[in-house]
Amino acid sequence: MITAVQKPFAEIQAMVEGYSNLLVLGCGTCVTVCMAGGEKEAGILASTLRLAGRQKGLKMRIVEDTIERQCDREFFDTVRDKVEAADAVLSLACGVGVQFCSEVFAGKRVLPGLNTRFYGTTEQQGIWSERCAGCGTCVLDRFGGVCPVARCSKSLLNGPCGGSQNGMCEVDQENIQCGWQLIYDRMKSLGLLHLLEENQPIKDWRTGRDGGPGKIVREDMVLDT
Amino acid sequence: MAKQSEKKIVAFCCENSALKAAEALDGPAALEVLAAVELVRLPCTGKAETGLLLECLEKGHPGVLVLGCPADNCKFLVGSSRARKRVEVTRRLLKEAGLSEERVHMDFVSSVDAHRLGRIVREMQERLAALEPAPTPIGGKS
Ligand code: SF4
Ligand code: SF4
Repeated sequence: MITAVQKPFAEIQAMVEGYSNLLVLGCGTCVTVCMAGGEKEAGILASTLRLAGRQKGLKMRIVEDTIERQCDREFFDTVRDKVEAADAVLSLACGVGVQFCSEVFAGKRVLPGLNTRFYGTTEQQGIWSERCAGCGTCVLDRFGGVCPVARCSKSLLNGPCGGSQNGMCEVDQENIQCGWQLIYDRMKSLGLLHLLEENQPIKDWRTGRDGGPGKIVREDMVLDT
Repeated sequence: MAKQSEKKIVAFCCENSALKAAEALDGPAALEVLAAVELVRLPCTGKAETGLLLECLEKGHPGVLVLGCPADNCKFLVGSSRARKRVEVTRRLLKEAGLSEERVHMDFVSSVDAHRLGRIVREMQERLAALEPAPTPIGGKS
């Protein structure tokens, strides 16, 4: 899933200042799972903003709602009236949802309530960690299912670097496991260590961020117009 | 002393401890507690969510108490300690919103500690009385 965290409250407050009719819009998918922008979080943020507004004597109307997803057009239908009635939408979706919301409601100010982080997994409730960087040419087969792009701080395909110590990465020895130690351990347990002897060729990064904005077209699925 | 709102303090009580303590009160002590707080029964204080605590304040209640089992005596083992973390988050949010964090308070009461319950309520009233009254609602939920 796409993971995110809520922006600092003071930043959100400054962002919404001056609007008199705000819709806090949660998203019911990834950011619900990572507890950053779902129905509960939209409720809590809207309550906190209302209490803060009251405290400052602001005449600000704040309502909240949550839709299934903000990255697909059809789900916006249920909140169309509320969006139109608001003079700004504080979206608690990931960056995709925020942008798509403002595309669906052209002319409406849509503000981001979250900082979108990474593609990750729920290690346990309350702890999420990165697994994939969306490079567009997956190489997990060569590394025992541990991603060198996302889990090595330097995205080394021919690692490790000299900074790997006791299983931890030199970038942050307290908190970041060395991705290459993880790769080594996994390959060893799979009996595939010999594959790590091979030098990996330079990766073509054009399928990821370096190739510009990505786009996928499935001709067989595109509807005739 | 600032005048408190007409609404009572909301006390979310674990039915295995604080609620039993409240039920064990009698005479003037019981009247005093019931005049000050609205008791809400929870199966465990682990059920007390941040959004719910904030909503009570939004609706004009002057304060919220979350009263659970002593941490090492929770029937659901971790309910009380979870509640404590949520109360801490709620207090932080209140501070960020410019309100006093004293408006939400957690305490731990065993079922046989009715007197302690009375004291917790009195102390909460005193803390709230020392605060500026919370402003009345302006905007709101649809
Ligand atoms: S190799 Fe690329 S696509 Fe595969 S997990 Fe890593 S970043 Fe994601
Ligand atoms: S220490 Fe490990 S994770 Fe960190 S940069 Fe070097 S190889 Fe990558």
